[in-house]
Amino acid sequence: MYEFELKVNGERYVVRAEPRKLLSDVLREDCRLTGTHVGCEHGVCGACTVLVDGKPARACLVYAPQMEGHEITTIEAVAKDGKLSPLQQALHEAHGLQCGFCTAGIVMTFEAYLKENPRPTEAEVREVLAGNLCRCTGYHNIVRAILDAAAKA
Amino acid sequence: MKPAPFRYHRPGSLAEALALLSQLGDAKLIAGGQSLAPMMNMRLVSPAALIDLNGIAGLDGISERNGFVEIGALARHHAVANSSVVKTHCPLLAQAAGAIGHYAIRARGTLGGSLAHADPAAQLPLVAATLNAEIVLAGKRGERRIAARDFFVSLMSTALAPDEIIVAARFPKSAPRERCAYTQFSRRTGDFALVGVACTLGSDGLTLGIGGVEDKPLVFADFGTTDAASVAHAVRERVSPAENPRVPAVFRKELVEILTRRAIQQCTSSN
Amino acid sequence: MQPRRPKLRHIGAPLARKEDRRFLTGHGRYVEDIEIAGALHACFVRSPHPHARIRNIDVQEAKKAPGVVAIYTGKDLAQWTLPLRMAPPIDGLLPVELTTLPIDKVRFHGDPVACVIAQSRYLAEDAAELVAVDYEPLPAVANLAQALAAGAPKVDESLPSNVVSVQRFSTGDVAARKREAHKLVECQFHQGRLTHLPIETRGLAALWDEGRQHLTVHIGNQVPHPFRSQVAARMRLSESQVTIVSPDVGGGFGQKIALYREELTVCAASRQLQRPVRWREDRMENLMASSHAREDSCRTRAAVTKEGKLLGLELEILEDFGAYCFYPANYLARVVAMILTGPYKVRDYAFEVKVALTNKCGNGPMRAPMAITSWLVEGTMDAIARELGLDPLQVRRANMVETRELPYTMPTGEVIADITPRETLEAAVKAMDYDGWRARQAAARKEGRYLGIGFCSVVESTTYGSKFYKAAGIPGSGHEAAWLRIEPSGAVNASVGLGATGQGYETAFAQVVADGLGVEPSQVRVQMGNTDIAPYGMGSRGARGGTAGGTAIFLAAREANEKVLAIAAKMLGFDSAEGLHLVDGRVEREILGERSKTDITLAQIARTAYLDPTALPAGMAPGLDFSRTYDPPPMTYSNACHACELEVDVETGALKINRYVVAEDCGQVLNPIVVEGQQHGAIAMGLSGALLEHMRYDEDGNNITGSLADYLVATSTDLPSFELIPMHTPSRGNPVGTKGMAEGGVMGAVGVIMSAVNDALAPFGVVADRQPLGPDYLRALLRARANSIKRK
Repeated sequence: MYEFELKVNGERYVVRAEPRKLLSDVLREDCRLTGTHVGCEHGVCGACTVLVDGKPARACLVYAPQMEGHEITTIEAVAKDGKLSPLQQALHEAHGLQCGFCTAGIVMTFEAYLKENPRPTEAEVREVLAGNLCRCTGYHNIVRAILDAAAKA
Repeated sequence: MKPAPFRYHRPGSLAEALALLSQLGDAKLIAGGQSLAPMMNMRLVSPAALIDLNGIAGLDGISERNGFVEIGALARHHAVANSSVVKTHCPLLAQAAGAIGHYAIRARGTLGGSLAHADPAAQLPLVAATLNAEIVLAGKRGERRIAARDFFVSLMSTALAPDEIIVAARFPKSAPRERCAYTQFSRRTGDFALVGVACTLGSDGLTLGIGGVEDKPLVFADFGTTDAASVAHAVRERVSPAENPRVPAVFRKELVEILTRRAIQQCTSSN
Repeated sequence: MQPRRPKLRHIGAPLARKEDRRFLTGHGRYVEDIEIAGALHACFVRSPHPHARIRNIDVQEAKKAPGVVAIYTGKDLAQWTLPLRMAPPIDGLLPVELTTLPIDKVRFHGDPVACVIAQSRYLAEDAAELVAVDYEPLPAVANLAQALAAGAPKVDESLPSNVVSVQRFSTGDVAARKREAHKLVECQFHQGRLTHLPIETRGLAALWDEGRQHLTVHIGNQVPHPFRSQVAARMRLSESQVTIVSPDVGGGFGQKIALYREELTVCAASRQLQRPVRWREDRMENLMASSHAREDSCRTRAAVTKEGKLLGLELEILEDFGAYCFYPANYLARVVAMILTGPYKVRDYAFEVKVALTNKCGNGPMRAPMAITSWLVEGTMDAIARELGLDPLQVRRANMVETRELPYTMPTGEVIADITPRETLEAAVKAMDYDGWRARQAAARKEGRYLGIGFCSVVESTTYGSKFYKAAGIPGSGHEAAWLRIEPSGAVNASVGLGATGQGYETAFAQVVADGLGVEPSQVRVQMGNTDIAPYGMGSRGARGGTAGGTAIFLAAREANEKVLAIAAKMLGFDSAEGLHLVDGRVEREILGERSKTDITLAQIARTAYLDPTALPAGMAPGLDFSRTYDPPPMTYSNACHACELEVDVETGALKINRYVVAEDCGQVLNPIVVEGQQHGAIAMGLSGALLEHMRYDEDGNNITGSLADYLVATSTDLPSFELIPMHTPSRGNPVGTKGMAEGGVMGAVGVIMSAVNDALAPFGVVADRQPLGPDYLRALLRARANSIKRK
């Protein structure tokens, strides 16, 4: 067992876990933040994407103790005071989610990306979104929602 | 898909990392973890110890000096692809780094990790070999530099000694009128390239790097011509991809020819 | 008698989904998100061999590993659970049986042989590596050719061969039509092996309560009640002793219907250990060992006139069903054969459907089990056009049923009515500007660019009534059940026996209840997925939710409306409820077509019904609680036409879709946002399978598709934007007017992409007849053709 401190969504968590424990599992089990979903555990599906110091990362490809000293942001911190972020609101309005399992990873990816590129083209959105698999929507409405969110920002 | 147990070490300095590396028998270095972690999660690799390089300061720099662009081993692909220094002085590298995996993968994956992993289909080993970058290795006895073309030995195997760590790579700056192009063919955005072609056209003619085809990146030069079709055909004749149930060798050869031709055409047509 | 259809205020409105907020903020509750104190974790030891005898399983070392609580094998499970016997009384289908875990032999690469239960998944995986299984490898059957070869090894030793089902049908005189025909056009079709790939893999948490002798199972499942019946029966429990709780589900697509062996093992383990046990399948297991789908080789033979009119048609289907039958092996392919002709007229028709077992993961229904249908018939139309030198649209028009000929009885006896295939075809043709398109195609070819256009009409069998099942020899019922309760405060709770996996039921059914009862959708809460709360329904499969479930819940709401208005009449001092309406929770009175609001609200009526029953009309029972079941007509069909324009890079074999258009008629729409989303999703799944996905085994039966780097699903850069043309006309088959949808998109996509690719490749004289349409495959076709020309 290994004791380490994590800073997630501005809160400190003292975690006792084996060093091999994936960040995705520690967030879900030790921090009880189950909004980060696990879809493949080999970095392909993007469902577990969180932000590490503001940059997107697959939580399944990070061993939790590696995150000591970094700021982690998860889906639970995106809506502020019960108000959806513009991206979340746009996904709601454009029906950009169905089963909802991949949604957190997509929101986290684009919360980061839209800060870097606030007015992306559709081709740019599709290129970045290609890192997140969605089996329900065919991506059409997700792309539309992201472009809507960017246009409104 | 959970990794086997390992001891975790996070050295604060290169010296400490090198000391750990020589003390611990069965240890793996981890930087971005974008290749290693999937293999560990699938238990294809189960090291007894993991040495995390992310705590070492100063290994992620990108700078230009003495005719080289020097990039620290911990520089992330996203930073490399978007660095104005790289874009200006080594545009082939910027292009290729931007074609790696996906946004989140590029945000974490590192130059050193990609070079050390030495996947024959990966972008950075291909560009390093094509430009014949120097790879800077640190060991207990100090630093040594090795030409990229000597560094890649075979499938996921390099000249890196078990007690060495990649600390940087030095890419020659492109000459003022040099042109370059990177093309790849993959099934989907972000997938490993079935074939990748890195091409430069300078005063000494064409240099072509071909990735994904044999067990390490191949580099061809001295064609005596810049005619796209004939060079592409010549390159096709010089590669011998292995048969693979997913990708027949003849298909890879065709891709080599077409991508080579297209890369050369990009170089010769761009202003 | 059908109840009066109220004026629709909410059905058909584009209401943003009620479900979204919890998913967008990370507060969805999927199985793995449910915290269960003291839960143990399961991990399965799986066969590395495609086919092998199990000589011995040594668990001694593994039992000593840290955190291990128990290790169970097939012999243990055989004491605690009953085997699955798949033996419906169907002509041409052989009965099979399988134990909960294999005892004597493994039948595919990934077959579970032991279950390790430990304190964490990490520790369970550590121990699983220490379980020593002594296998005697057997020759394996890796594909259909091997399965059917003389002297082939038998996948299931209880069967006489690897053929588990053969069904033949013939009507009219196809042989005579073949003799009379101007030409006999023969085509082949090969659909690859796929898997559903929900982003949430399978998983469950089983909690045995020793005191109450009760099992609670949290599991993402599409059919909670039939699933409960299975769990109870296989564990020798009564249905009163099992509760299935299906929380939010991260996609199903047909993979979350059957009771799988791993799931039953975990349930049994919980009962044995008297501890909660949970299992979350990892992605490698999901790819190798959950459920696969498709993999058919088909052949059509069309006897046609000079003008391309269909005189007679034959179909052969050969399906690779994998190693185990979690479903009757005949049923997926049989539906294809029954509805093959879709919108096209033909009287003389024959089919043979043969299903064989192989040493691969077992097959199951995947979104549009009949996915190949439209490709078969539209591919045949394209082949007729090609061989007769006709325009492909001309051939379609010559054979398509005319609106005035509806209802039309297909040669199999299936009746299509209330569909509009001519209208959707012409709308798609117009949207693509087909007449001008051929000139653009010719111009592009001169520049060395190969564009193709394709059309694919779809007649989707959405909702199977009990009569269809009976007639088709498929066990099961097509009815659905709903209840509705107006609480004393006037709050409305409703439920239906479906299983939500992202279809937006909580929103769409709130709209249905809102119109049926006369309240606002925001007042309605749809509660689903818990077998103690929901009525016994048949669950979500096919595209039955909207029509079977929607109608059941609508009928319950209409009953509620009637009682509510009867109470209102009494409260208002009227003799009858004639002229009274409930609108958004308030009673209105209609006199000579004029509506006026009264003071009576649903809340007051509910209070009276529960708390002041003596004020109710004489003889009326207190409370406001309603249950209804609904058995839809034998079959409900909807229709669409897909059209697509693409470009093939003939040098690399890469393919790019430039435009994708669908004109669709799915009847009365409950919520257009949800329907569009379902259209997108279905098209995407169809295109992804047609272009990229391929679950591969090598010649020896080893699965070589163990990760998402090998099993390629479409990403956002592989798919186009979709242009949808809504052409919905209500069905007369049910009181809401729905026709159902959500699988037809797969059928259309699978067919249209082939039509367009073959159009693009026409100048080369090659025909693509297999999926996936990978660049290596297209290059192989073009290369073979070029080589054969060179040789000549």
